[in-house]
Amino acid sequence: MSAAALPGTGQPTKAASRPAFDRALLLAIPATLFMLLLFVYPFLYGLWLSFVPAKGGPLANYHTFFTTSDLWPTIGTTLKLALPATVINVGVALPIAFRMRVRGRWQRIVTTLLVVPITLGTVLIAEGMLNYFGPKGWLSHALQLVHFYDGPIRLTHNYWGVLISLVISGFPFAFLLILSYVTGIDPVLARAAATLGAGSFAQFRHIYLPLLAPGLAMCFCLAFVQAFSVFPSAVLVGAPAGPTRVISIAAYQAAFEQYDYSLASAIAMIMGFVQLVIVAAVLGLRGFFYRGPVAGGKG
Amino acid sequence: MRHDFRELKLERVTRRFAGAGGHAFAALDELTMTIRRGEFVALLGPSGCGKSTALNCIAGLLSLSGGAICLDELRIDTLPPEKRGFGMVFQNYALFPHMTVERNVGFGLRMRGVPAAEIAPRVARALALVQLGAQAAKLPGQLSGGQQQRVAIARAIVIEPPLVLMDEPLSNLDAKLRIETRAEIRRIHGELGRATIYVTHDQDEALSLADRIVVMRDGVVQQIGSPQQIYAQPANLHVARFMGYRNVLELDVAGVTGDRVELAGGPMRIVGTLRQALGGRRAAVAIRPEELVVGAPDIVANAVRGRVTGVEYGGRDSLIEVTLDGGVRLLVRSDARAARGDAIALSIPPERALVYPA
Repeated sequence: MSAAALPGTGQPTKAASRPAFDRALLLAIPATLFMLLLFVYPFLYGLWLSFVPAKGGPLANYHTFFTTSDLWPTIGTTLKLALPATVINVGVALPIAFRMRVRGRWQRIVTTLLVVPITLGTVLIAEGMLNYFGPKGWLSHALQLVHFYDGPIRLTHNYWGVLISLVISGFPFAFLLILSYVTGIDPVLARAAATLGAGSFAQFRHIYLPLLAPGLAMCFCLAFVQAFSVFPSAVLVGAPAGPTRVISIAAYQAAFEQYDYSLASAIAMIMGFVQLVIVAAVLGLRGFFYRGPVAGGKG
Repeated sequence: MRHDFRELKLERVTRRFAGAGGHAFAALDELTMTIRRGEFVALLGPSGCGKSTALNCIAGLLSLSGGAICLDELRIDTLPPEKRGFGMVFQNYALFPHMTVERNVGFGLRMRGVPAAEIAPRVARALALVQLGAQAAKLPGQLSGGQQQRVAIARAIVIEPPLVLMDEPLSNLDAKLRIETRAEIRRIHGELGRATIYVTHDQDEALSLADRIVVMRDGVVQQIGSPQQIYAQPANLHVARFMGYRNVLELDVAGVTGDRVELAGGPMRIVGTLRQALGGRRAAVAIRPEELVVGAPDIVANAVRGRVTGVEYGGRDSLIEVTLDGGVRLLVRSDARAARGDAIALSIPPERALVYPA
């Protein structure tokens, strides 16, 4: 461990002031080209496009967005869906992943079960939800049958439908990510804590949680970005004209119903900016936590 | 949780694991012993002998499949580890990487609800004991292996446990540091005055540290005794082999007189000392390389002749491989000068040739 922290201190005469060009870096060229062509160029093009509106000055689109009453509130609408969905996904996945940390039969079964929704995709999930959660769906029928709740329950075509869909599609992702972080922590640390008098909650609170914090922040960011760009489920199981008119719907309508690509680009830029602010805030919080190896010494 | 005690009693402590094909095998089979206050006990054996299993059972990290553990009159084998209050030092240290040295050492005190004003001086005292006072504010990752191990020891002893458990604490250190830390462990044990159970596969460590050694093999205790007993009078052939009796010859029993046994095989006749009742006509004689004597023609009865077939220089002395006239190979540690091909005579003191059933 200490040897790894001091590379190249042995032979100062041999170490050149500038290291020779590492030809392995050439291997990064295809990926870099790919990034430039398919991500950086379209992004910059969109950014430029957002500043050249059909009429008005360069900031006209942004002015329009923040003054039109069916555009600017989409930020709040989307946040109101994405933040609770992310909190639920990460918050529920954490204790379950913690319980599943010991490799065994249950870990395999649950992991397999959870991979399924990821492979299904949001459209198929929405389809299933319409059949199951709809006013004439199985859930409603079952509840009426046992007289638990007699009215028709409304869990589709509103806010709750989209939230449920975001949890179904986002939870497995959060769970698998957190599970890999949890299993990466040496269980000997928890055993050491136990011999020092820490019960299972104290072990979680003082050992696992601080070591997981950076991973949780990362997981939160990824899950949030995924939820914030919600589109299919907001249309299919939401109320796209009202409570679930999310920002991506606004961008879609600007581009393909009003054919105003410039405004659509501006909306996309605003969407990206909001995501960036949240991600930066969360990763900024990460700075307060320990970041380093999560093993307890020499393996 | 208690701080002081008179004795820890292990009563037929057994731990079984599910093995291949669903067969349970006993990693630890009916370990019975009593450890008194102030004692330093080493569990010694090759890897897989059950010594770490025994330690984990005492610490509460493994549940028992049978038997009982009592601290004085209190039965503790049903308690979880956090209720037993034993200090444990792990092989890979298991320091909390996100806490400073000071917070690592203070962890056990905080878990016990010791007031903050009391924690600081106790942590300082424990760090002074392992001579790491200057490193208190560092993270474990910034320390060397030896320093990390000393932090782990400080963390285990600061809670003033009745029992300190150490699981091969020196195996990750280099040879020089191992010997230094060994002395330190012995000193700390003396200052605490409680009991230490120390798991190791290294005979030298066990011999130099322990008041009592428990030699184990395949989950079964082979011998419990003082270092002197284990070293000079191994109870059986397994212990003898493990304790460095590297010459083991299987021969025919030619006669038994009291505890003297005469063994014969080809041209060889060796008189040895009986250590374990013989069962049949064959017996094994175990001799340490350093207890064979080069030359010494006056002990004619136990002399063997052969040629030097290998020399391993070891500084003060050499390990000489001798092939006897009958083809048997013996290892001799001696400061006598020898070269490959030399004719050589060896004699075996009868009291140091230990005879066991083959």
